[in-house]
Amino acid sequence: MHDPDADDVAKAGQGDRAAAARLIGRHTPKLLTVARRMLGAQAEAEDAVQEVFLKLWTHAARWQPGKARFETWLYRVMLNQCYDRLRRRPTAPLEAAEEVADDSVPPDARLDEGVLGREIGRALEDLPERQRAAILLCHFRELGNIEAAEIMGISVEALESLLARGRRSLKSRLEHLKGFVGDG
Amino acid sequence: MTGENADRDFVDRALRQLPRPIPSPGFEAALMAGYDAWNAERNKGVWAAIRASARGFSEVIWPGAPLWVPASALAAALLVGAGVGTALPAAQAEQSAFSLEQPGSFTLFASDLAPEEDL
Repeated sequence: MHDPDADDVAKAGQGDRAAAARLIGRHTPKLLTVARRMLGAQAEAEDAVQEVFLKLWTHAARWQPGKARFETWLYRVMLNQCYDRLRRRPTAPLEAAEEVADDSVPPDARLDEGVLGREIGRALEDLPERQRAAILLCHFRELGNIEAAEIMGISVEALESLLARGRRSLKSRLEHLKGFVGDG
Repeated sequence: MTGENADRDFVDRALRQLPRPIPSPGFEAALMAGYDAWNAERNKGVWAAIRASARGFSEVIWPGAPLWVPASALAAALLVGAGVGTALPAAQAEQSAFSLEQPGSFTLFASDLAPEEDL
């Protein structure tokens, strides 16, 4: 199994700055996209990605190619980083939640792209974290189910179940936007 | 289209509407700075390890002396050694010639072959 990152990981672990820059350039955009959708906030997503790279540097010198695909390891670290951050968040009291204004879009409203994106992003954030992670890995990373399951540390069947429930739930949350999302 | 496929297509279309997050200015530079800091720490660690082992070694051979004392003694010893080494080959050549003229008489089974012991 050829790992396109193995060389650069080994070189970065030996102090090769150019190899580190290549790894950063190659993986930052997608890591940031997944982290942003997992955590909801841009600044927190950037912090998470930064932590992931710091972990990468400390492990790079000891990286053993062939044991696991580097990208699988990288996304597993990233997901764990996101889970940790989500669990550290203080839970809002129920009374405060009731005071939040309902600013969801009425079915007949006209939407610009920004509003539509925000609505979809919010619906995604409302999903349970594992369902969200499964959907994000398969959609944004365009990973097959086997690799996504490996990243999440679950069986392929468990991943398929998470995907099915997550998609059904997301679809029902976005039912009122059906006309804007398009019928395909 | 089955329900699951319809859900997947709908979700894929919906997620395509999401804007891609744009990294804040200087984000990649911050990541590189993280790498540089790690690398500097790593190098510092290597030099610290070398210094510590040199100090330990100097304590063994010259207890209580500052590091430069055994280092200077080692350098002086190296110089003397190099000087002797350059002078030595000539003497060795003479010895080799002498040896060729008078080959050694020692053999492993010399005692067996010696006539006076063949009694």
